[in-house]
Amino acid sequence: MIRKLLVVAAVGSSHLLAGCGSDPVNPPDTPTIVVLGGNNQQGEPGTQVSQLLRVRVHEGGLPVVGVEVTWEVVAGGGTVEPLSSITDAQGDATARYTLGATVGVNTIRVSAAGASGVATFTATATNSPAKAQLVAEVSIPANYGIHDTHVRDGIAFVAAWNSGIWIYDVGGGDLGGSPESPKKISQYVTSANGVPGGAQVHNSWWFHNPVSGSKRYLFVGQEGPGVIGATSSGDLHVVDVSDLANPVEVAFLRVPSAGVHNFWMDEANQVLYAAWYNGGVVAVDVSGTLTGDLSSRIIAQSFPGGEGASFTWGVMLSNGTLYAADMVQGFFALDPTTLQIRNPAPNVTNRYTSDLWVHGNVGYTGTWGTRGGIRGNAINIWQLGGNGVPTFVRSHEIPGAGTVSDIAVTPDGKLLVATVENGNTVSNGLHVFKRSDPLAPLSAAFSYVSSGLHTGEVAVINGRTYVFGARNPPAPSLMIFDITRLLD
Amino acid sequence: MTRAVCALLLSMGAAPLAAQQSFNVIARGIVTVRHADPAPGGATDTEAYLTQPTLSLSRALGSRLVARFTLNLESATIAGGELAPGAWGEGFVDRRHPHTTVHELLLEARDILGDIDGDWRLGLVAGKGFAPFGTDDPMSRPFLSYPVNHHLAQVLERAVLIGQVRRGPVTLEAALFNGDEPESPGQWPLIRNDSVWRFGDSWSLRALVVPLAGLELQGSIASVHSPEHRQGGGGGHDKVSVSARWQDGNDRGSRYALVEWAQSSELEGTFKLETLLAEAALVRGRWHVSARYESTLRPEEERLADPYKTHRPHIENSILGTLRWNLATLRLAAELAPRGSKAGILPFVEVTGGHIARVGSGIADAIDIYGTDRVRHFSVGVVIEWQGRNHRMGRYGVLTSHESHH
Repeated sequence: MIRKLLVVAAVGSSHLLAGCGSDPVNPPDTPTIVVLGGNNQQGEPGTQVSQLLRVRVHEGGLPVVGVEVTWEVVAGGGTVEPLSSITDAQGDATARYTLGATVGVNTIRVSAAGASGVATFTATATNSPAKAQLVAEVSIPANYGIHDTHVRDGIAFVAAWNSGIWIYDVGGGDLGGSPESPKKISQYVTSANGVPGGAQVHNSWWFHNPVSGSKRYLFVGQEGPGVIGATSSGDLHVVDVSDLANPVEVAFLRVPSAGVHNFWMDEANQVLYAAWYNGGVVAVDVSGTLTGDLSSRIIAQSFPGGEGASFTWGVMLSNGTLYAADMVQGFFALDPTTLQIRNPAPNVTNRYTSDLWVHGNVGYTGTWGTRGGIRGNAINIWQLGGNGVPTFVRSHEIPGAGTVSDIAVTPDGKLLVATVENGNTVSNGLHVFKRSDPLAPLSAAFSYVSSGLHTGEVAVINGRTYVFGARNPPAPSLMIFDITRLLD
Repeated sequence: MTRAVCALLLSMGAAPLAAQQSFNVIARGIVTVRHADPAPGGATDTEAYLTQPTLSLSRALGSRLVARFTLNLESATIAGGELAPGAWGEGFVDRRHPHTTVHELLLEARDILGDIDGDWRLGLVAGKGFAPFGTDDPMSRPFLSYPVNHHLAQVLERAVLIGQVRRGPVTLEAALFNGDEPESPGQWPLIRNDSVWRFGDSWSLRALVVPLAGLELQGSIASVHSPEHRQGGGGGHDKVSVSARWQDGNDRGSRYALVEWAQSSELEGTFKLETLLAEAALVRGRWHVSARYESTLRPEEERLADPYKTHRPHIENSILGTLRWNLATLRLAAELAPRGSKAGILPFVEVTGGHIARVGSGIADAIDIYGTDRVRHFSVGVVIEWQGRNHRMGRYGVLTSHESHH
């Protein structure tokens, strides 16, 4: 109440001052309320729209702080919460909107104490909201569950933690499988290699060697226990999958005092790049026959953000640049041969960084956990300049998200896919965005997954585009979404 | 019965069987308003509850068997957990989780062989309850706030099979149980998961010695398989606990003190969580004064949209770091019910203050989570009980007594 009185007093005093001017009836410094975001959303009747309704109250471009904003549903019968709110330091106020129970246009009118005019939002309740089409769901043992899926040539390699690697025919095998009806070929548990916690299979990459023509090796990441930002454990395992029905582990690589995370390959040059958490980025020669301890095959290692300060989540090679997403330090461009960092200064670090994807001259990085009170609820968007060096453009927020854990772009570049976990009912799951403007993706579909999706792998199989999602425990599963129609 | 013998029985729970031939009923609950400062995100939080609502029934079945049942209604009264400084476990953080509705359901043989084994007493306990590890459940101790170390110092709500042997001042216990801790108040221990037994995948050993009347020395070890992952895919916890407990009393009141140290080594020593706790209580007339200090390491995990929750089961085995909670708690209470009454009405004030310190590496930081590293919790309330305090939960068979609480 005291705050409200102060606001009123402030507005009143500005009116008094305005009265000294030439137009006391319509003073030029009257606060104005405008729509800032969340307009023109749609969803199923009775559901909450995914983005917050956001208004700004300003006075000649300067924010008006602490003014009471009133929200009112004037058509459509939905509910807005709260009914009143107070503008923040930017002059902004937000509210959540739940669509009315029937199909149709909803209208929300917003006014601010002492401000001229109103802001008006429309939202549409429709029975055909855009959703990615779930075509199959395969239960994975809750032996922690599923972390990631690698799909190539119609074969899916499911990283099923202590249940190992599960190999499925999803259109490319001999079992008649498809994304709609995956057929299990085999499963294989890689060795724990003395790492506490067991096999902890986290991710994989099926190496198609263009030099030898071999498709013999599957690289498997083991994510052992660690302390985020500081320590990690887990080895790179090499599994011979010449016979997909009978995989056999043949080699491993350990970086001392560090654990492997996501990796990428330069197959033409037979080099594997791996993010190794506190071990930074490691390049490994994987030419020829792989057997036993591969530690002598390490070509180079570097630390985005410096040794002792790095905790690198993932890498990706694109257009002659190796990109690295470091949880603590941000997004980096590296020389793929020397692993020298091209943008050594720490960049956007207001949130922890998670996964990355690069398409053309635009990069995307996910965000993770909570840092300085800011949730990992955003996709950071980067313009890639000369030599691949990224420049931060903006953060696209996904309201309610706790972690944007995986990012990918479809091969044709039309869609951006992100998975969200640790969020709420309007954020956990699969998000698909149109890349009509790559620097400002538009929400195209959202599929809610209650426990969140940990990862989403994009794969094109028989002309259709799918996302292979990893549903979190307590009921872990491989969720396969067909997003082909969203490409139109 | 001499005062010394009384004290001995109080600490060892060796009440004559004849004393428990009847149906013993204890009902208890605490109505409280709790103020937490800080709460996650830097704000404060104030809530009111009925907490620890329990109904304990025990009955002697013949001369050597006792059936015990403790009903806990926290699933109804604190379904979303209870604000408690530093509390964590079972998917809650900065809130104490509600306990399972069937908190204890046990059949206890206190002296299997009777006089045949002379001074020896052999006991066997089976059912759902506490594994013989560590110290008494906080619910049967003087404070409203559970200590931060609850999940380091007790192993509870398991399907247990306990063998006991006692001779003179020494008692040894060995137990098999299931490693999984409950994920919700209505959940029962997982006995078998597909083709793998969970019952028996974990064990504990405890030794208790009463060198002199009133003093109890305890040492125990436990190996708990995958407590935080029900299906068994999680890491193991190797636990150690030692403690010394004093209790005596006379017509003017009672004295109680406990010092304990415990350690839980997780994932083959990857994470080692330690705790040191000392607490004491003095009862004089109607006045109860209690004090506690603890220094406990707490693992920090990624939180969900609800900042009081973490993912269960874990998605992976990493943590964000470790914070040391150094907390001091003072409690003042006064018994309003007339002496000798079956009912108890005990209004209280409880204050906790302290400091959260970062330990080792990682991104966990109190300032980041709470906006401060200072802790100030305040609670007022009233304990309402019928037929006395809770029994010493976790003490069964040859250790039990209908009156062995402080």
